[in-house]
Amino acid sequence: MTVLDAGPRTALTVRGLSKTYAGNLALDSLFLQVRPGEIHALLGGNGSGKSTAVKILAGVEAADPGGEIVVGDVAAGVSEWTPVRAHAAGLRFVHQQPAVFPDLTVAENLALGAEFPRGVAGRIDWSSLHARTQNLLDRYQINATPKTPLGLLRAADRSRVAIVRALQDRDDADAGVLVLDEPTAALPDAEVAYLLEALRGYAAAGQTILYISHRLDEVLSVADRVTVLRDGRKVDTVETKGLTESRLIELIVGRPLDRVFAPPIAEVTQDAALSVRGLVGGPLHGVDLTLRKGEVLGIAGLLGSGRSELLRMIFGAQPLDAGAITLEGASYEPTSPDAAMKVGIAYVPEDRQADALLQGCSVRQNLSAGSSSSYFHRLLWRHKQERADSQQSISDFLIRLVSDQQPIETLSGGNQQKVVIARWLWRKPKVLLLDEPTQGVDVAARAEIYQLVRKATTQGTSVILVVSEPEELAHASDRVAILRGGRITSIVDRPIDAHRLTELMNSSEGRP
Amino acid sequence: MTSDSVAGPAPALARPASVWRQSPGRVVGHVARTYSLPILLIISVLIYGLWGGGVSAAFNSAASWRNIASGQAVTGVLTLGILLTLTSGNFDLSIGNICGLSAVMTGAAYSRWHLPLVLGLLVGVAIGAAVGGINGYLSTTLRVDPFIITLGTASIILGFVDWYTKGQSIVNGIPHSLLDFGRTNFLGIPEVAWVLGIVALLIYYVLEHTPYGRALHAIGSNRAAAKLVGIRVERTITSAFALTGAFAGVAGILLVAYSGSANPAIGPTFTLTALASAFLGAVSFKVGRLNVPGTIVAIFFLSINIAGLTYAGVQNWITEVFTGLTLILAVALAAVLSKERKAKRSTSTEQTRNPA
Repeated sequence: MTVLDAGPRTALTVRGLSKTYAGNLALDSLFLQVRPGEIHALLGGNGSGKSTAVKILAGVEAADPGGEIVVGDVAAGVSEWTPVRAHAAGLRFVHQQPAVFPDLTVAENLALGAEFPRGVAGRIDWSSLHARTQNLLDRYQINATPKTPLGLLRAADRSRVAIVRALQDRDDADAGVLVLDEPTAALPDAEVAYLLEALRGYAAAGQTILYISHRLDEVLSVADRVTVLRDGRKVDTVETKGLTESRLIELIVGRPLDRVFAPPIAEVTQDAALSVRGLVGGPLHGVDLTLRKGEVLGIAGLLGSGRSELLRMIFGAQPLDAGAITLEGASYEPTSPDAAMKVGIAYVPEDRQADALLQGCSVRQNLSAGSSSSYFHRLLWRHKQERADSQQSISDFLIRLVSDQQPIETLSGGNQQKVVIARWLWRKPKVLLLDEPTQGVDVAARAEIYQLVRKATTQGTSVILVVSEPEELAHASDRVAILRGGRITSIVDRPIDAHRLTELMNSSEGRP
Repeated sequence: MTSDSVAGPAPALARPASVWRQSPGRVVGHVARTYSLPILLIISVLIYGLWGGGVSAAFNSAASWRNIASGQAVTGVLTLGILLTLTSGNFDLSIGNICGLSAVMTGAAYSRWHLPLVLGLLVGVAIGAAVGGINGYLSTTLRVDPFIITLGTASIILGFVDWYTKGQSIVNGIPHSLLDFGRTNFLGIPEVAWVLGIVALLIYYVLEHTPYGRALHAIGSNRAAAKLVGIRVERTITSAFALTGAFAGVAGILLVAYSGSANPAIGPTFTLTALASAFLGAVSFKVGRLNVPGTIVAIFFLSINIAGLTYAGVQNWITEVFTGLTLILAVALAAVLSKERKAKRSTSTEQTRNPA
């Protein structure tokens, strides 16, 4: 499937790009060619070198001597590549969380990227600014007026504004490359499709796009070609036409898919670990659910179906209006997270940054958070015990770090997530509630996380798993409950087919 | 990240490279960063000690040292107390006022109500704890930034104290045992300074060696996450305010013992000094994080400079300017240093994550 690299004309060519960090090759003589008007995806796990490549292209990180960057007709050696040069050559960057200002209007947001047109005595010429903005909004098909505060726009439109801001000073769309660094990382699912649609439109109009991501479905749906990196080396550049997700995973991880996800363990008993009857609250209108001992029960539901709320209510983090829950036969009242933890329930929230990590605290403190009373014995803190447990978790969970005293935010996303899961599994919970445990985690770390969850189920933990990607949910669960219209509409047993799940989530089939 | 790590054994953990084994330049840099404040403290002492003439004579005298030590007991206890609320990410701008209120009410307990020694002390601490508790309760139940709440209570206390004392110091009826306590030394060190030492150990223990301290750190770091690991956030914050208030009460009692009277005007002036010391303390030892040893050094750094400047004959307003500048510099420096630390750590992680 390898495409010959010697195209007649390229928008961007990168040759022999290497980067060494303290003797380690983070990027090993990367060769990359992007054709004019194509969407070219750069794909790879954490630490694969894709962010390093972007930093070098932007000129913010100096590459090892010897490489060459060619944008259109401009060629330069890496040693003279600077942010100014990259900009002049026509490279435009939009980063993961673009710096847009929700309280300012669309026109003001755009003007901050260029310049405010000035009138007499240096005053801002608002009417010409608004005319210019309207022009841009029409051209890039953004549904807003120049005076709309940005915060009122839907999330994908805010990202579009950020893209327009990067492109606005270039009238000639043929030259130059738009580099999007994980543009969907901060977007809710529903918005992703809308943004991708816009990107296809821009590409059709002649804009060349280099799309950096680790989300396979997006890459497959939006990109023309994809270059896969692994451990700093280019694995291959392939056409996305006819490419499957599992083949792509193989390229990223370097081995077949059936070895990526842990095989399910057959011995699930019929005993109920947790049973929920008639749960009402928020978007839920009477959820009945039984979690069997030792199983991984997936919850499939669309965004807004109440799948996250269900977990939060079981954990006591959100009040419920009615319903009964029994935990291993005993009645359980979810009044607070504190009470839930006492009876052996653990919860990994969806938003790691906002709800799980203690930023600025060490990895060790993050691991022991939630178990601190167990380290306090006869008025003394058992630091040695805490350190030993922390080292144990780090080696069990393959958490990659220098020292457990380093602040949690210095770890990669996958390792941060492992810390959060290790924090809870250390308590040997009876029931583990996982909400999107692999968000922002690359494929390899994702596999490790599921393996650890599987291991916990052999030690008496039962798991409720919420994942929005049907493919992943189908691979990781023993059974999947479909949540629709505030109720569980059906249960799918193995073998679980991802397409079937998608159908059930969307159709009104099986609805009471 | 290597691809075979999924099934393979745990990778050998890289040992944190010891700073001491690095190049001499780096070691010096590390020492200068971590111990910048103690070093500055020593330099200050040397400057005033070697200034010459009357300045050095006054500065070097044992009496002057004792003065500094006992004079700082009030600020010190106040600052150590506010570490609890600051660690939980909350500001208390009323501590100086609470300290003044406790001083006045302790004085009143003796001179107006003729209470015995111990009950008078209890009045001081209890009033501090009560006002602190109200601060915490209001800010957690009304969900209003404690910055605003405590600014409000500070003003209310100011008004109340003014009405209650008519602006007059309470001098009469304060028990001799309390006044002696403020003046005598134990093992050559003023007794009030011993109180400072005990409070420092206590706060250090609470912040670093108890689940309660861990809870405060967790709340200060991420309130939502703290709640989801089972910490009762509102209750913990309210109690932190109450404890800070109680220590402000202790500081108020020390103020009465040390100065021999309950002066209604002096309390509020301590708020800024206490905040400045707490933030200045975060510049050293555990850089970028509030910590007890740093706080103690910061208190003495401030007071030695103020005493030295006074002996050198500068006018009073300069000390106010000095404190204000220190507050701004300390907060800015703490922010920069903690960022630098994070950046440094993350590059070293990046290296281990990218094995060749």
